[in-house]
Amino acid sequence: MRFWWIVPFWKTLHYLSITLLVGVVGLVDLRIFGVAKGLPLRPLQRLMPWAALAFVMSFVTGAMLIRINPAGTLGPPVNVAFAAKTVFLVLIGLNDLLYFASGLKRQVDGVAAGESASVSAKIVAGVSLMLWVGVLYWSRMLTFLAGAI
Amino acid sequence: MTFVQQWTETSAFFIWLRESPSVWAYPTVMFLHTVGLAFTAGASVVIDLRLLGVARQLPVAPFARFFRSIWIGFWLTAISGLVMLGSDLDAKVTNRLFAPKMILVACAVVLMIVMRRRVFAAAAPDQTSVSASARVLAAASLACWIGAITAGRFMAYF
Repeated sequence: MRFWWIVPFWKTLHYLSITLLVGVVGLVDLRIFGVAKGLPLRPLQRLMPWAALAFVMSFVTGAMLIRINPAGTLGPPVNVAFAAKTVFLVLIGLNDLLYFASGLKRQVDGVAAGESASVSAKIVAGVSLMLWVGVLYWSRMLTFLAGAI
Repeated sequence: MTFVQQWTETSAFFIWLRESPSVWAYPTVMFLHTVGLAFTAGASVVIDLRLLGVARQLPVAPFARFFRSIWIGFWLTAISGLVMLGSDLDAKVTNRLFAPKMILVACAVVLMIVMRRRVFAAAAPDQTSVSASARVLAAASLACWIGAITAGRFMAYF
């Protein structure tokens, strides 16, 4: 084994990135739901590049953790939790794509302080929130489901 | 202390939590801790970043409305944390990083309460300017959360 602190070091960076990511996504989604309506959505969505940065950091630190112990995640046998996590991340990507491609993002940009977002925006925000909670679930199960199948 | 020790050692719930191989036992409690923590710390960190100068166009006062969700996340984290503590009381309390972690969490929570009263409740509805003292509070809060998460993560390796 390498230095004992290598794994907790990357895990800490992974957690810190996820904290920032979930924080930004959570607050934007909650505002779309109608919490803190005093916040105009166009400037609030300017926080999204921070979420993108946090995602890249999570991805890189996650890749480092897989590199340290590839068998625990990639198998064989493949880790069910990792497979499910990947599927959930792809669904999040598709949900985000829908948000941008359908013009919802532009519509939400027009939601000023005190105004409500449309029902379709609320649905996309709700799906996003649930999928992220799902990603956290499968991530947490990763170490417990290694080699489960 | 001995009463608590005895209770966590003999209660059916804590024995199940310790010994069950099911993913519905300890792993699920850990998951609840992670979700609550990610949201509570995440939302606090974003609010800290706003006070430190990110997304300056956003008015400060409306952020006060997020505190209720943050408290829900906090209690989810605290209760699941207490349950995990009970499942392995001796090892957790004697862990060198346990006390530093709890002190950092306590500081972060106190800072959150102070910021809510002094910064968010005191701001005019459209105010976007942030005082130097508010920025100091935000920087301290950011440092506490980063420290608490780092200590929590490293605890498993001590």
